[in-house]
Amino acid sequence: MKILLLVMLLFYSFASSSGDTTIHTNNWAVLVCTSRFWFNYRHMANTLSLYRTVKRLGIPDERIILMLADDMACNARNEYPAQVFNNENHKLNLYGDNVEVDYRGYEVTVENFLRVLTGRHENAVPRSKRLLSDEGSHILLYMTGHGGDEFLKFQDAEELQSHDLADAVKQMKEKRRFKELMIMVDTCQAATLFNQLQSPGVLAIGSSLKGENSYSHHLDSDIGVSVVDRFTYYTLAFFERLNIYDNASLNSLFRSYDPRLLMSTAYYRTDLYEPHLEEVPVTNFFGSVMETIHTDSAYKAFSSRISNSKINSEDDHKEDFQNANIPNDDVKTEKQKCPYTQMRADLHEKLKKLENTDTMVNLGIAVMILVVMVSSSLL
Amino acid sequence: MTTTEKRDEKEEVKTDDGSPKIKSRPIVQLGIFLISHSPVFSVVFSAAGVLALLLLPLLAKNTYISENALMPGSARSMLSNRDVSGGSKLVKDIKNHEGQGVEVQRLIGQHMSEMGAEIYYQKFHPEGNQFHPLRFFSGPDSDTLMGNVSCASYGVNVAGIIRAPRGDGKESIVLVTPYDFINGGDYEALSLGIASSLFSLLARVTWLSKDIIWLVADSRYGDYRPVAAWLSEYHTPSFKVSDLLKCDEINTSGSFRRAGTMAAALVLKVDGRSERFEDTLSIYAEASNGQMPNLDLINVVNYLAVHRQGFYVKVEKVVSLLSSSWLKIFGEIFEAVGKVAHTLNPNWNFGIPVADYLEASATLASSLYSQALGIPTGPHGAFRDYQVDAITLKVSPRFPPDSKARQHDFFLRGAQLLEGTIRSVNNLLEKFHQSFFLYLLTSSSKFISVGVYMIAFALLVAPLPMVAASLYIDGCNVLTKSTSNPAENLKSWKWLGAAKQVFALHLMGFIVSLLPYFICQVPGQHSPTNRSIMWVTTSASLLLITFVTIPGCSPFSSRLHGTKWAVLKSVTISAAFIGLCLMSIINFATAEIGALLLVPMCLMVRPIKPDLRSRRMKSMLRALCSMVLVTTGFPVMFFAISRGLTGKGLVGLSLGGEFWTWLESLWAWKSATYLYIGMVHLPCWLLCLCILFNPS
Repeated sequence: MKILLLVMLLFYSFASSSGDTTIHTNNWAVLVCTSRFWFNYRHMANTLSLYRTVKRLGIPDERIILMLADDMACNARNEYPAQVFNNENHKLNLYGDNVEVDYRGYEVTVENFLRVLTGRHENAVPRSKRLLSDEGSHILLYMTGHGGDEFLKFQDAEELQSHDLADAVKQMKEKRRFKELMIMVDTCQAATLFNQLQSPGVLAIGSSLKGENSYSHHLDSDIGVSVVDRFTYYTLAFFERLNIYDNASLNSLFRSYDPRLLMSTAYYRTDLYEPHLEEVPVTNFFGSVMETIHTDSAYKAFSSRISNSKINSEDDHKEDFQNANIPNDDVKTEKQKCPYTQMRADLHEKLKKLENTDTMVNLGIAVMILVVMVSSSLL
Repeated sequence: MTTTEKRDEKEEVKTDDGSPKIKSRPIVQLGIFLISHSPVFSVVFSAAGVLALLLLPLLAKNTYISENALMPGSARSMLSNRDVSGGSKLVKDIKNHEGQGVEVQRLIGQHMSEMGAEIYYQKFHPEGNQFHPLRFFSGPDSDTLMGNVSCASYGVNVAGIIRAPRGDGKESIVLVTPYDFINGGDYEALSLGIASSLFSLLARVTWLSKDIIWLVADSRYGDYRPVAAWLSEYHTPSFKVSDLLKCDEINTSGSFRRAGTMAAALVLKVDGRSERFEDTLSIYAEASNGQMPNLDLINVVNYLAVHRQGFYVKVEKVVSLLSSSWLKIFGEIFEAVGKVAHTLNPNWNFGIPVADYLEASATLASSLYSQALGIPTGPHGAFRDYQVDAITLKVSPRFPPDSKARQHDFFLRGAQLLEGTIRSVNNLLEKFHQSFFLYLLTSSSKFISVGVYMIAFALLVAPLPMVAASLYIDGCNVLTKSTSNPAENLKSWKWLGAAKQVFALHLMGFIVSLLPYFICQVPGQHSPTNRSIMWVTTSASLLLITFVTIPGCSPFSSRLHGTKWAVLKSVTISAAFIGLCLMSIINFATAEIGALLLVPMCLMVRPIKPDLRSRRMKSMLRALCSMVLVTTGFPVMFFAISRGLTGKGLVGLSLGGEFWTWLESLWAWKSATYLYIGMVHLPCWLLCLCILFNPS
């Protein structure tokens, strides 16, 4: 019997820790460009393109952490001041309105990157610069720059190593900062960056295998620099066909990479990721949750908000969920009160019901005297 | 425990007197082995050194752009026909005003300001390079203006600055076109046309991050001087009002303007007509004392010229070597060896065709020679004194200068080349630092880095310390007549006498190298021949005085006897070794050529008297060898080599005068080669002479 109980307990704890039970409730994106300097224009263009894509597919700005050196648009060498393009046709200015860069210039450091992931910030860091994800979050982590065997350079000054990344992801998992995490890396030898990952729920995709380079896609001869990397270019090409309601699976994204076009082999690490890729829509990571959970009239005050915005809905839903819990908790706490206080309370209530307290006291004193007399006579 | 004891026993070899002696380390044993077999090894090493030098053309690597930021050729040229026709118009205007110096300057200034540049005129003195014996290796001298300035001769530079529209104004790129305002030729004017086309483009582009300075240097007094004067004022502002300002032919009231540190400088010259079908571009890079600009700058220009504009790019080469038969034989041998190696292992591809080998060798020789001479090969040398990377581009069009139709195309391509180069340099974030500074060119796209060419030198000088040590031990043994304990000899001070002599002669060499300064101060006009005669006579008398006053110095003194020459030779060789090694740090090319002359002489020289007396075939041969080598080691040989390489024969009578002029140019350019000849080569040669005539 005991053993059975123990087994059941164990089973329960496993079920709760794996996080499978939690529902996917929100989406976050962390987009990092780890290089600076004019000749790395394409890395900034990569990141801004991804930024634009995930925004278009529904992740709001407050849930995107964008880390950029941001020295391209206003660089003196830029022939098109305050504009950044990822194609030589110059049709799309990536640096238009509404680009919210959270970490800019020399703020893009390994330290800040790890702080964002693990959520260990100083108090003064504003909410907009924090990754406020929870156990229901799907996070997209996109990184581009110059990498090598198990490392990624940050602005020519420092390196992020594969075990640093694995460690940060592990901390995130422990802290239940994500449900599923997708890491997408466009650097040379990107696959090596995933070598140390162990945490479940992590899906990783890199632009090249060990010993391979990731190449730029094309050169803009007006600006005089390469404007986009191949891997990112074809990723964007895939997403340009999609809209917010599309159900294309991750598998179709992965199959869209042609090694001949990439001039490198895209690498996926799926062993830590349970769901079948055919069944997971790309919008699980690149878009945002849009299921509106209809609730009855219990929270009339919020009903208008729910109907207004789809994005906020799951926020509210979460709140609902928490609110719903509160009464239950109260009941629980009352039941859990200790018996002594319970008795005191009962007594107190009964005393309150008595109206003639004076007679009660007198009677009591008389009884006590009687008892004393009887006991002394017995001795 | 037992094993260690055993090992200890093994190491402790009992000597005769019973005291334990620790067995010496392998490196010491190797040293002793080398010293004891020094004759064999010195021959092997010297031969290997010479062979390595001949092999260098085979070991040359292809150049590559090392700095990521440069990205040459990635941007499309934005030069329009309007820019080019502006340049053509300027050339036409200049031709109309030909010979009217001030008018032409004003015209150019006006042209620049019309394009939106800030302009100013700078006046300078033509006399710049004054020899000062103690100013070697000091930085570029600030022009101290003499009190009595005459307005008779001065030059005027015109400079225009385009400010980068969004740049921070901390850096600049300089474009220099030397032009003789009084009698500029048709070709020279073309360089102004190219620069003007480019300037009008740069005035309207939005991608500049560095300011552009266009300097039209007044080359009436040579190409170098105006650039040096401008740079000197640029870097060391003087707060005195120059007297030259009063010489008012042209309004120079506008202040001297600056534009940040210079990232790079390009000197553009157009001269002569190309001998080939294509337009020819010659690159000159050597600055004073063999300093070179960063290889990346040459790479960028070479890449753009070859792959974008279709110029025929060449570097200077010694033409006479192309037809030399002995070099051809070497080339054939190397080619054959390369082919055999290729058949043995298809991965070994070091063989190159004979023609390529000759070509590469001729270029290498020229590169080595220009660096060894230590005289800059163009106005870019002035920039190197301020650590600015600069090269001179000499363009030779394939058409006669009056052909209007082709001129447009020529301007377009020339300006596009410069535009591409400037755009690359504009992309730079830091100074040029990625690529090599120490290298020799074997063609415009091949180079030999310092790591490779130092091997040849190291092999060449390696025998010197070995032979010195071996001679010293021999000499001491003979002197003390005891061969028992060499360790005792090493501790003795027997080398002191020889060192005194060596030091005395080096001191004399130092004084001799200072003498020309005083000879220059001698009042009155003297021809170079007279001056060189004065120099030789004073030096010779100084030598005699040294021999007389310092006992034991003279080769004919009776105090020298026995085999003391061995110790003297040992100290001489040590001094030569130290001198050569020091020189290799200052100017590798000088040290390499110096070593080629000095090392065989120092190694072979020995008294000829006993050899001649013995009348044996071997001894006679040895004596002859010493004499020949000592003759070739004569410092004037440097001059002879320089004449030989430049293709001019030695003319007997005027030799003294030409030698003087040559030396004068060396010290005027502060070439360390001059110091080397005076303070290392000459004393060593004199010491070898002493040994040769040693009466033993």
